Amino acid sequence: MERRTFLKILGLSSLFGTGMLPSLFAAEGPVVGVAEGREYEKITVRAIGALGGMKRFVKPGDTVVVKPNIGWDRRPEQGANTHPLVVRAVAAEALAAGAKKVKVFDRPCNDARRCYVNSGMEAALKGMKGVELKHIEDERFRMVKLNGRSLREWELYDEALSADVFINVPVAKHHGLTGLTLGLKNIMGVMGGNRGSVHRHIDGALADINAVLKSRLTIIDATRILTAHGPQGGDRGDVKILNKVIASTDIVAADAFATTLFGLKPEHISTTVAAYRRGLGEMNISRMRIVRA
Amino acid sequence: MMKWNKVPLSRIVQVLFLLVFLVLFVRTEYRGHDQITVAVNSFFRADPLLAACYLLAEKSFTMLLLPAALLAFFTLVLGRFFCGWICPLGTILDLVTARIRKTAPLKFLQGNMKYWLLLPLLGAALFNVNLAGVFDPIAILVRALTFSLYPIVGDTVRQGWVGLYRVMGEGRDALAPAYTVIRDNLLPFRETFYPLAFVSLLLFLGIIFLERYETRAWCRRLCPLGTLLGILARFSLFRRTPGTLCADCGDCRSVCPTSFDEETLQQDACIRCMACCLRCRFRRVGCRFAGLGGAGPYLPERRVLLGGLLSGFLLARLFRFRLPDAQARVLRPPGVRSEGEFLKQCVRCGECMKVCLKNALYPALFQAGLEGVFTPMLIPRLGYCEYNCTLCGQVCPTGAIPDLPVETKKHEVIGKAVLDRNHCLPYARRVNCIVCEEHCPIPSKAIRAETEKIAGEDGQPIILRKPYVVAELCTGCGICENVCPIEGKSAIEVFAVKDRDPLVDPGGWSIP
Repeated sequence: MERRTFLKILGLSSLFGTGMLPSLFAAEGPVVGVAEGREYEKITVRAIGALGGMKRFVKPGDTVVVKPNIGWDRRPEQGANTHPLVVRAVAAEALAAGAKKVKVFDRPCNDARRCYVNSGMEAALKGMKGVELKHIEDERFRMVKLNGRSLREWELYDEALSADVFINVPVAKHHGLTGLTLGLKNIMGVMGGNRGSVHRHIDGALADINAVLKSRLTIIDATRILTAHGPQGGDRGDVKILNKVIASTDIVAADAFATTLFGLKPEHISTTVAAYRRGLGEMNISRMRIVRA
Repeated sequence: MMKWNKVPLSRIVQVLFLLVFLVLFVRTEYRGHDQITVAVNSFFRADPLLAACYLLAEKSFTMLLLPAALLAFFTLVLGRFFCGWICPLGTILDLVTARIRKTAPLKFLQGNMKYWLLLPLLGAALFNVNLAGVFDPIAILVRALTFSLYPIVGDTVRQGWVGLYRVMGEGRDALAPAYTVIRDNLLPFRETFYPLAFVSLLLFLGIIFLERYETRAWCRRLCPLGTLLGILARFSLFRRTPGTLCADCGDCRSVCPTSFDEETLQQDACIRCMACCLRCRFRRVGCRFAGLGGAGPYLPERRVLLGGLLSGFLLARLFRFRLPDAQARVLRPPGVRSEGEFLKQCVRCGECMKVCLKNALYPALFQAGLEGVFTPMLIPRLGYCEYNCTLCGQVCPTGAIPDLPVETKKHEVIGKAVLDRNHCLPYARRVNCIVCEEHCPIPSKAIRAETEKIAGEDGQPIILRKPYVVAELCTGCGICENVCPIEGKSAIEVFAVKDRDPLVDPGGWSIP
């Protein structure tokens, strides 16, 4: 390009400057890292790398909470829980970035001990120094003022609240009520009390909680997705292998992108829409920067 | 104080067996593996009283009872060595009795009393109600531990741990590794409280209380297992000689814990502890194989025998009344297909309730009639049957709950869930919920939901998901009832059904 042409374009573009401003910002909108491959630990690292690497989020000495979905007494290949290798990779990355301690927990629906074993989580995290796979203890829930539109207050788990970095690591799967369960819904794993009762206004309730307990990083396990009979499945016929991991600092963007993997549009998922309207993140795919890592 | 060289070998063996018993008790719990290799059921499988009642009720043999048959055989040869060397309840009595001051023996317990306890149990079993475990010493101990002592210990430690959190907050984490080891290896995973906890403890404490009248009062005057072994022991080849007190000494009267309340040794009460042999000043007393004979007078007398069996008949027939309302909610553990068969085989030992992963099983009070007291029943609102778990069948000593492979167990029907539209939120209050559908473990879902578009209060359209039950796919595991978010009464409840034929391949089932 000649200098003259360059200057012309530069000059002309300033004319459009003001009008184009919003879309310029959009281009700088949320980054969604998507990695594909059969080695789940590696693609997890790559997806995080697309965002600039774990060092961007975890500072030396930090206490990191990794919140996978370990809700069901199902094996990894059944697609009901986050894949243990994805969780392992996230924990390892956090340690490598200097985390003092990585805590991994969920409040499961089935027997907690069986879930931790059968999901493969216990085996995958065994022997990792500084990583603790913990059982939920009721006394650690504390009432938190949410001042939300659906929930005024709710009991949340203290270790999730007090963590320096909270990393949300859901598995992408079907859900009977909300269509899909992804990052926004995975937050139910740190809710105490009679959490089933929020189903009556689940979209608003999840937005309320996610507005207070923010996921610094959302890493969605789509190595295999459960396409029907979620959230616990059980039939291998409902499981589709995608070998993908998605990462974003924007939980709504991560959810919205993962929705497309099911052949659905983000606006079909009311929890995503509610969170978007609440300003928790971006749901328009066109306004995200998708980085294939 | 007893000198160490005077500690009989039997005492050392006793303490070892008590420790084994306690270890097995604690191991009768999910500890990270689908299979429990050894459990406290080993003691029950070697229990001739349970075996006898099973045989009388079932009128057939199962290999599960082989150890009990062996023990019975050895009792024929060696006498009641089980009571003096192995029985954990007997050991506990031996360990505490020195600290309990004795008054005179209770008159009414003597003579035929023990037969009046044993024979009705056998009689009832003959008429298809197996009550063996109600008074079996090991079952009494296991139930006292399961329903009372273990929960109290668990809850107390847990409350202490919670208390530390209130004081130290997250600082408590420094102690967490130590607590985790204790929790994972010793404590119950969660606090559970049982009905009949007090009764179970009382039965156990009552037996200890009897020690103030004489040593091993329960064992020689009441214990139906001991009595049964005693009947066999009357013919045993191995016994103490001389068979009477020596005229010039009589020390044995105070040394012997069970058998010298008369001049002659009571062959059927002697527990072969061999304390008399060890402590004889004149080295006259020996325990040796002495050949046949010396069975003593025939007991029980005919009237006791007939009376006992008749009481057993009455016991089996008079307490069958069941209130239909309560009966409708008597849900048996998975794999139990017929109530009649279950009453014949279940010895009410409490092991299934101890091991139940989600603490779903509780002893029946009177829901299953008086005849069903202490039998296990599932109370879904408190705990549900975990889909992949087969622990109760694994530990059941008699196979009353069959030990099924997990794939088979998943098809077993406990009951059927019934939806109550008057309570269920989408029907009664037109708000979304379907927590039951979410939790239903059947891969193709025994609870499904249909969608209806309605106008909400504010005029905005609401997509309402209304659940319904596909009864053909429902196993009655009870997780739906357990998780129903309505406070108090659940909007979906599991009811007992007569036809408990297993599901036909739930995976492949399709309902239009």
